[in-house]
Amino acid sequence: MKLFRLWLLLGLSVAICACGNGERPDTTGLKVYKVALDQSPTNLDPAQGATVYSNHLIVNAYDTLYSYKYLARPFELKPRLAESLPTVSDDGLVYTFKLKSGVRFIDDPCFADGKGREVVAQDVIYSLQRHFDPASLSQGSWVWQGRIAGLDDWQKAGSDYAQPVSGLTALDDHTLQITLVKPYPQLVHTLTMGFAGVVPREAVEKYGREFSVRPVGSGPFRVQSFDTTRAVLVRNPNYRQEPVDLAAEGYDPAIHQAYGLERIAGRSPPFVDRVEVNFIAEDTARMTSLTKGDELHAARVPSPTYDLYLSSKNPITLKPEIAAKYHMVNWTEPGFVFQTFNMDDPDFGYNDDPERNERNHALRCAIRKGFNWNERNERYYSGVGKIFPGIITPAMPEYDTELSRDSVIHDISGAKALLADAGWTPENLPELVYGIPASVLQNQYYEQFRGFMSKIGYPAEKIVVKQYATFGDISKAWKQSRLPLINKAWLLDYPDAENTLQLFYGPNRAPGSNDGNYSNPQYDAMFERAAVMQPGPERTSLYRRMNRLVINDCATITGLSRAVIIFWDKRVIAYPDRSFVGGFYFPYVDIDDT
Amino acid sequence: MSSASVAAENTTIAVRGRDSLWSKAFYKFRHDRMGMVAFALVMAYGVMALGTVFGWWANDWSEIRGGRFDPISADFWFGSNVNGQDIFARTVFSTRTAFEVGLVVAILSTLIGAVLGAVAGYYSGSWIDELVLWLKGVLDSIPFYLFVAAVAFAMQGSAYGMHVAMVATFWTTTGRLVRGEVIKLKQFEFVEAARAIGLPELKIVFRHIIPNTFHILLVQATIVFVAAIKSEVILSFLGLGVKNGVSWGRMLAEATYEVGAGHFNNFIWASLFMFGLVMAFNMFSDALQDALDPRKV
Amino acid sequence: MEILQFALRKIIGGIPLILGVTFISFLLMVYYGPDKTYELLGKNPTAEQIESVRAELGYDQPFLQRYVTYLREIVTLDFGNSFSSGERVNSILKRTMPISLAVITPGFILGNLLGLVLALVAAYHRSGWIDKAIMGFSVVGMSISFLIVVIAFQLIFCSSYGLNWFPSRGWDVYSLSDYLRFVTVPTMATIFVALGYNTRFYRAVIVEEMGRDHVRTARAFGTPPAQLLYRSVLKNSLIPIITRIMFSIPLVVISGSLIIETYFGIPGVGKVTYDAITQGDQPILKAVVGLTAVLFVLTLLITDILYRVVDPRVSLK
Repeated sequence: MKLFRLWLLLGLSVAICACGNGERPDTTGLKVYKVALDQSPTNLDPAQGATVYSNHLIVNAYDTLYSYKYLARPFELKPRLAESLPTVSDDGLVYTFKLKSGVRFIDDPCFADGKGREVVAQDVIYSLQRHFDPASLSQGSWVWQGRIAGLDDWQKAGSDYAQPVSGLTALDDHTLQITLVKPYPQLVHTLTMGFAGVVPREAVEKYGREFSVRPVGSGPFRVQSFDTTRAVLVRNPNYRQEPVDLAAEGYDPAIHQAYGLERIAGRSPPFVDRVEVNFIAEDTARMTSLTKGDELHAARVPSPTYDLYLSSKNPITLKPEIAAKYHMVNWTEPGFVFQTFNMDDPDFGYNDDPERNERNHALRCAIRKGFNWNERNERYYSGVGKIFPGIITPAMPEYDTELSRDSVIHDISGAKALLADAGWTPENLPELVYGIPASVLQNQYYEQFRGFMSKIGYPAEKIVVKQYATFGDISKAWKQSRLPLINKAWLLDYPDAENTLQLFYGPNRAPGSNDGNYSNPQYDAMFERAAVMQPGPERTSLYRRMNRLVINDCATITGLSRAVIIFWDKRVIAYPDRSFVGGFYFPYVDIDDT
Repeated sequence: MSSASVAAENTTIAVRGRDSLWSKAFYKFRHDRMGMVAFALVMAYGVMALGTVFGWWANDWSEIRGGRFDPISADFWFGSNVNGQDIFARTVFSTRTAFEVGLVVAILSTLIGAVLGAVAGYYSGSWIDELVLWLKGVLDSIPFYLFVAAVAFAMQGSAYGMHVAMVATFWTTTGRLVRGEVIKLKQFEFVEAARAIGLPELKIVFRHIIPNTFHILLVQATIVFVAAIKSEVILSFLGLGVKNGVSWGRMLAEATYEVGAGHFNNFIWASLFMFGLVMAFNMFSDALQDALDPRKV
Repeated sequence: MEILQFALRKIIGGIPLILGVTFISFLLMVYYGPDKTYELLGKNPTAEQIESVRAELGYDQPFLQRYVTYLREIVTLDFGNSFSSGERVNSILKRTMPISLAVITPGFILGNLLGLVLALVAAYHRSGWIDKAIMGFSVVGMSISFLIVVIAFQLIFCSSYGLNWFPSRGWDVYSLSDYLRFVTVPTMATIFVALGYNTRFYRAVIVEEMGRDHVRTARAFGTPPAQLLYRSVLKNSLIPIITRIMFSIPLVVISGSLIIETYFGIPGVGKVTYDAITQGDQPILKAVVGLTAVLFVLTLLITDILYRVVDPRVSLK
């Protein structure tokens, strides 16, 4: 009897469990694109869309004024919600934007009678204002802080939406004017970012904190579900008709014909009915899933596995059996990994004693010479990362190919000589605390770094690891300048080297983005001059001079830009480059179902 | 006969009973072939660990001297890892880490379990007992990995966060068993007699009662030892394991990045060595129970 | 009536336990836990922004006030919104708990049932080769790390390197056949790991019961094995069995299985909770720990009542 009852219980529980998610969505005849990201976004509120992962979804759920062209590389701007590029006053302070008319938000209960209303200039203003309202926990306000007339004061006065902001005005429903405090040549770039997604006030007010998981936008897709493992996007049926002009998008037959992209010419995106974005952090699980064929169409290939798939690394080419199954795109990420000295630390950075200051400089330069970028690249990036000197990365238009590579050359004897000349001995070298977040990979980096240092005579027991429980905790240590060396990756927000140069601008010192507290009056003066300049040879030469200053001060050990390799199924017609604002390619994805 | 000598006499009987339990157990254990094999294996692992303490071998576990994932060779018996470190040295050195974690956790949690269990049992029904039971209840009702992670995080980077967390959770079982045994023991004459001659209560607990629970403690310690080693693996996978060193858990965690790329040396050797020690310890623990617990079946 | 009084008494008696659990976990996970502030900052924050985020998260309030707020949240079962996603904690739990339950239940039940069956067989053939073989396998099972089992099973059953019979990840369950497809491998892994422990435990309980006089008598009289084991042995060893099963339930329900959910990409409560720890998402942590404590007290209560049901000799005191 009892056993029978146990079995009954088992059957019952299976039955209960099985009715899990309700009705299966009917996807017969629908085009479904299944893609993997290597991390999950925390939420989908444009005000908090700080990562490339959340931006994958945000730029598809929301409209931004501008976007990047689908295929043109280097990246070029194109209008999206805006009708055209803005008109700018001669002093570079007043920008006038024309918005497309007839664009509507998706239908949602937050609107009167549940029908999506038209997107107007006031919505753009509201969306920018939100970043300056403490209640929205914005992570993007730094992009416009101190730039737009009246916006910072509006926040100081209590973020009252009833009060106007002098620099943000709607001339009419479809004309927006932004007035700047000083020229900001990157302004249009910032309007492509997820942070600039246009949100309706009704939704923010109706859903409150939950707005971040219930996007209501006017983008090509609607977010149907979102959790820690997956997001499902479905086509926005009312999305505006805008046939693809391949030439305008930067189509180049030599590169793009192989992917069948000409098929989308003249048709209006989005082409797929459904996008399933799976968040798979575990490398093995991600590749297992991709190789099964039906679970995933596209995924980033984990760098430890490159040897399995590549027949050559420079240039990157696939083994024939892999090339027969997948399309591949690779690019050098517009960002870099680097370690920066905390210049406030008297043991390694600036020191009031001029003599010690000099010795610290020698110590930093010696550590930099001892750092073996080639080996870091070989071991952890399968040798396909790009090593470069300074802080202007190879993916930037301002990259300096002429720059001396001395600062990235591994030179043990040079390092030892520097140490000896400055009077450093194994006994008097300061202890170097190497901070890492709790992760196996970071621990391996640490062991490798300790190995590098042993080779230049830095005693292994003086390279001490300090582990932080979470990324937030190590950020705290950085922001409070408690670690002598900061190991970081920086991904650029827009294709302009200003974005990395500001990492060394004095007034941005911690807790700002200049974690290393680098402070050089000459550098700061040049930065301030360059910041208001339009792109051009003059600005580029300023950028490059700043770059050399940082290198000569041995303030940082740079750098390596990682390679990103994406595989996708040949049935999928796409070019899944995800630099900067990831995911802006989703609307152009098509599936060849023949 | 004075009451004191009765007490003394009774204690001697109890002690003699204990002696015979131990000598019988020893005899029984000697004739348990599987048990002896397991014991020998544990000892072999112990020697392996001691060797690293004395610097006989495997002290180059962190030295970077080979290529990325070098195959097995005369130089690298188990191949090399991504940093070009010797996997053989790391596997062997991990034995020491395992013993460190296992011993620290086993000894401390057994000590705490014995003392708290005995006190609670001796004063069963009183507020002390209630307090210990409450503490045990509280610790038992926080999910293990949550608790360990929380302690490890709260102790921010300290090398012993993991140990503290495991001790705090593992003593409860020992405590429960000891408490039950003590409740039984305290009805024995020798305890009553000791009380009658006015021995201080704490002395009774520590000198007369706890020694009579040694057979439980020994077996429990071996069980905790195994549990600690196994938990370390999961914690290392979660990034909460040993801080500055190497362990099988860390090797397996590294392996999760590598198996997909076809590099199996970390995975295979860490798994094998760990399996060997855990298996041997489990069998050793079984044999001990067979020998020590007359009711063990 | 007697039962009701008894239940009330037990619930009141459980209050110190709940207070203890919530206090310890509050201290560890919330007060000393990771600081979420620095994950919510932009790339170029100012000192004022740091202060404003701290205030927004409530970090600037005194310890006692925050703890009392927590207790109030447990009583009203309203834990607010997640710090990370902004979603209501209650809707997160409502979405993830059934999934975890669905993932873990079959393995839990089958693991216990199979353990019981193997234990019965082993105990019946005590000291024979069948017993030795079963016990040998359970020691082997106990000696393999869960992590190794999960990695190996995924490679063997779910990847194109192996048999490739099952999906490697996800949870797209709309029908019984979907369910079986997604749950099989996690279930096998759970059973593999739990079986050794379960078998040994149940065998010990059953062997003890078999040593009793009435069982030996029954056996001597030639009662058929099934009847003997079921009638005389199993029924009388129900108390330790129930205890073991009941006390696993709160942990199974709330914490799910972290490793399984991470590795198989299942959006259950285990993964959510672990993410909450590593990111310092306090509202979720508070909810999970608080609910576990409450569930534990309820389990204690139900177990005591069950004792009474299976063995009327146990009094309700």
